Amino acid sequence: MKKTITYMTVLSSLALTASLAACGPGEEAQGSKEQSSNKEAKLIVWEDIEKGEGIKDIVSKFERDNDVDVKVIEKPYAKQIEDLRLDGPAGTGPDLLTMPGDQIGTAVTEGIIKEMDVPKEVQSIYTDVALDSQKVNGKLYGVPKAVETTVLYYNKKLVSEDKLPKTLEEWYALSKKTTTGQSFGFLALFDQIYYAQSVLSGYGGYIFKQDDQGKYQTKEVGLANTGAIEGASYIQKFYKEKLFPAGIIGEQGINVLESLFTEGKAAAIISGPWNVEPFTKAGIDFGITKLPELENGKNMSSFIGVKSYNVSAYSKRSELASKLALYLTNAENSKKRFEITKEVPAVSALAEDSAVTKSPAAQAVAEQSKFSELTPNVPEMNEVWKPVDAALQTIATGKAEPEAAMKQAVKTIDGQIKAKHGTK
Amino acid sequence: MQHRKIGLVLSIIPGLGQLYHRQWMKGGLLLAVSIAFWIAFADLLNMGLWGIVTLGTEVPRDNSIFLLAQGIIAIIVLLFGIGLYVFNLRDAYRNGEKRDQGVRPDSLWSDYRNLMDQGYPYLVSGPSLFLLIFAVIFPILFSFALAFTNYDLYHSPPAKLADWVGFSTFAQIFTVDIWRSTFFDVLSWTIVWTLVASTLQVSLGIFLAVLVNQKEVQFKRVIRTIFVLPWAVPGFVTILVFAGLFNDSFGAINLDILSLFGLDPVLWLTDEKWTRVALVFMQGWLGFPYVFLVTTGVLQSIPNDLYEAATIDGASMFAKFRHITMPMVLIAMSPIIITQFTFNFNNFNIIYLFNGGGPSVPGSNAGGTDILVSWIYKLTMQSGQYALAAALTILLSIFVIAIALWQFRRTNAFKEGA
Amino acid sequence: MATGNKTRTVRLTLTYLILLFVATCIIYPLLWTIGASFNPGNSLVSTSIIPKNPTLDHYRELFAGKESLQYGHWYMNSLKISLFTMLGTVVSVSFTAYAFSRFRFKGRQQALTLFLLLQMIPQFSALIALFVLAQLLGMMNSHWLLILLYIGGQIPMNTYLMKGYMDSIPVDLDESAKLDGAGHTRIFIQIILPLCRPMLAVVAMNGFTGPLGDFVLASTILRTQEAYTLPIGLFNLVNEAMGASYTTFAAGAILISIPVAVLFVLLQKHFVSGLTAGGTKG
Repeated sequence: MKKTITYMTVLSSLALTASLAACGPGEEAQGSKEQSSNKEAKLIVWEDIEKGEGIKDIVSKFERDNDVDVKVIEKPYAKQIEDLRLDGPAGTGPDLLTMPGDQIGTAVTEGIIKEMDVPKEVQSIYTDVALDSQKVNGKLYGVPKAVETTVLYYNKKLVSEDKLPKTLEEWYALSKKTTTGQSFGFLALFDQIYYAQSVLSGYGGYIFKQDDQGKYQTKEVGLANTGAIEGASYIQKFYKEKLFPAGIIGEQGINVLESLFTEGKAAAIISGPWNVEPFTKAGIDFGITKLPELENGKNMSSFIGVKSYNVSAYSKRSELASKLALYLTNAENSKKRFEITKEVPAVSALAEDSAVTKSPAAQAVAEQSKFSELTPNVPEMNEVWKPVDAALQTIATGKAEPEAAMKQAVKTIDGQIKAKHGTK
Repeated sequence: MQHRKIGLVLSIIPGLGQLYHRQWMKGGLLLAVSIAFWIAFADLLNMGLWGIVTLGTEVPRDNSIFLLAQGIIAIIVLLFGIGLYVFNLRDAYRNGEKRDQGVRPDSLWSDYRNLMDQGYPYLVSGPSLFLLIFAVIFPILFSFALAFTNYDLYHSPPAKLADWVGFSTFAQIFTVDIWRSTFFDVLSWTIVWTLVASTLQVSLGIFLAVLVNQKEVQFKRVIRTIFVLPWAVPGFVTILVFAGLFNDSFGAINLDILSLFGLDPVLWLTDEKWTRVALVFMQGWLGFPYVFLVTTGVLQSIPNDLYEAATIDGASMFAKFRHITMPMVLIAMSPIIITQFTFNFNNFNIIYLFNGGGPSVPGSNAGGTDILVSWIYKLTMQSGQYALAAALTILLSIFVIAIALWQFRRTNAFKEGA
Repeated sequence: MATGNKTRTVRLTLTYLILLFVATCIIYPLLWTIGASFNPGNSLVSTSIIPKNPTLDHYRELFAGKESLQYGHWYMNSLKISLFTMLGTVVSVSFTAYAFSRFRFKGRQQALTLFLLLQMIPQFSALIALFVLAQLLGMMNSHWLLILLYIGGQIPMNTYLMKGYMDSIPVDLDESAKLDGAGHTRIFIQIILPLCRPMLAVVAMNGFTGPLGDFVLASTILRTQEAYTLPIGLFNLVNEAMGASYTTFAAGAILISIPVAVLFVLLQKHFVSGLTAGGTKG
């Protein structure tokens, strides 16, 4: 019996070797990969949530001019990259999508968005800052669609326009006077670095040090330097003295904050231009302006978020997609989009356009932009958000002192960068 | 030359040996099947086996992840093929042996009878097995394989290829500070969570069942119907509802209930400790009805004589409970209790849907209430640490399986069942 | 005897108090959800259990045909997936369990151990694999693939339960039928299956509720709005940072919960005996 088994083993392995003799992808295998199903030949665009209205007419004109069908699907723009990872290879992905500028670096690293070939003179219509956010190692990977930065909303019924506090300290004083536990003075989501950076940066904190060429030194995180800690301590004051309710801390905080403002229970909040629409709809009489100044005389800074149109690397018709991207963001169409969505376009010529200058929101964004900085677009940025938010949260809830929390956060960031991006 | 040897050698090409034994149908069938197998799978085997070894050589033509998947499928298919081949060889040999001994080889009819009789279990469980292989076993194998690659943000298609890196991902879990500390944090919370939540739901279920089962209690049906509700409403709905109820500032629990008793609002969603408490309560709420129902069933099956005899002996209420009810229930229910524990160990939904594993805690890569499965999910879907997530999956599996096996052996259910 | 009576009263009062408390704890969140669904507005902030100006708006919104809220679609998808998963699970599990319970074949022991281990590892820990599989098969967005995956995932545990139950059915029954000349399949369908009814109910219930509770696997495979199931759709409704609507979610949640809960309560006695038996044998 044993012999027979040996026999069989030899025979089977012979057969196995025969089957393995010719291995590797032949020409055929390559051919089969091309046949991905794009039968309907529609150009798929992923637009930000509730912004589809703004490009509807433009898209239908594009469809007529280019004899192509375009399907616009709305998805939250910050999560489109996660979906693209899955949908791209699945063939259910978009040709054109939109994402925040700070994700560009990651997307390029993974190779899921395509480099765009845009002539110099076309590039020159966009503001420099906005265009910079789309560049990785000098190559352009998208065109800016809108810029946004946080601004101050105030309820005109609760604070009069002429007596509007100019500095954060004055807002603090006002909050002290008006906070009752049910209604509040000035509110902001300072438990998130996206908002807290406005204060931290004013005191000298930074995320990554930039070298002379503006390249981010991801090994040097400046969120636990004396400035940052000073800023964090300042922030903590608002929470400690119960000027901010506990409910605006954490993931659901943003909903609470907005509800408080729409219900007239908050005199002023820091938020983005995306809220102009909903607040108007809610029927509040509000004003909008740049962020206040800090004690040290500096204006509060903020992140400039650039939303962009990017071409998916999986797109079968990248040229057409790229054409559509440029079409959507040209001066004329940017203006159209602005009129509907109120998102401030990244076209420099429009800054003086009456449509924009007449809009207080756009004005405020433009004004605030002078004091703003780009969100770093390197992949390492992914490691920054959570740890700092966690630290700020513990500062807000009073569980940790600013210095310890921020130092801990930076340690975590350094560790994560080493762990996740060390293999570069 | 004996028939068995000739049959065996001829069967190197499947079916020939059978044809030589004049088993025309079977030989033809085998031959046809192997040709079909070859035609259908040659490409897959070729690409797959090449792919799993190299994980691709050229960007953007090769996608490491797809190649890995194809490779694993190719291996599964190949195993089937080898199985068939070995069967073919053995069959040729055995029938040759019969001829050598002067017995007629099996006829097709007797083969068929044989198949219907001895092969019956294989036949009816075959489809299930097939499904199981592709829906469960393939994914697990794939995941395990992934753990030995460097598939992450920087080695991910279409821009880059992934590569085999052996155990280095595992080494990272234990050597890189942030991974190690997070891993042990998450693991210890996972264990605490499993023990506390399961114990709560089990004891609550048993306790209430015993309460309701008292002879004097009226409206048993109504009470039981109400108690089944948490189990009857789809779980994801209740968890999301609770997420709203527990909201720090505007949830009904803080605003309506705690304030009713004059208590200060509690930071259910932002304070890690309280989120944990809320999770445990919720799991108690969600999980007790099942135990309650089963216990009720068990209680009703305890013969009344036992209690009567005890009463005659003058046993107190409590004594009866301790010496009759409790042992009966616990013995009867130990398998269910174990299932509750494994269920909670992997209870992704409640953790993820309630607060996304949050709140975030300083110094950790995971959220304050993340258990292993939810951390793995986040690593995969949100931060592109695929290999790491896969390695953690392996660790998790080893952990659960070890405990489960030990438990099942202890309770003997394992030996009995298998 | 007087003291006995007194302790009895105390015990009963205590019992009722506890039961009342638990019942309140159970009913409160459910009532609250119903209340929320009639509340005007979107956020939690102004939600109360008895709405001041009740409105049916949220129910209307569910069926208003917004592209990001195709509730009717999701509902039907979920029903379809749950029903077919249930059907497939019952069929495949009962056959497999029959094989394991009544036959002694090669690999049986190993297969049983394998089943035992497989039910410990959550299927979705291998999300990428399933995603890649779906792509290789060209079955992204396919409900049928999802159904097959669910059935596959249900097999190990339920087979175990079912096999345990079948083991408790005396083999004599099979033997005597065999003497009468019945084949395996006939014995199985005419004798064994009817006796397994309680456990079949349990398996069917597991098959039905499994997909209803899954969010992860479905969201990986189903990538377009039309294809979503209820868990994905409703989760997105609560979790979208902007445009989250708790109240609409509540309305949607109620429309699915009530029928399922009613079905459960009505059918409960059918699977309780199965559960008890299954749970206690394993």
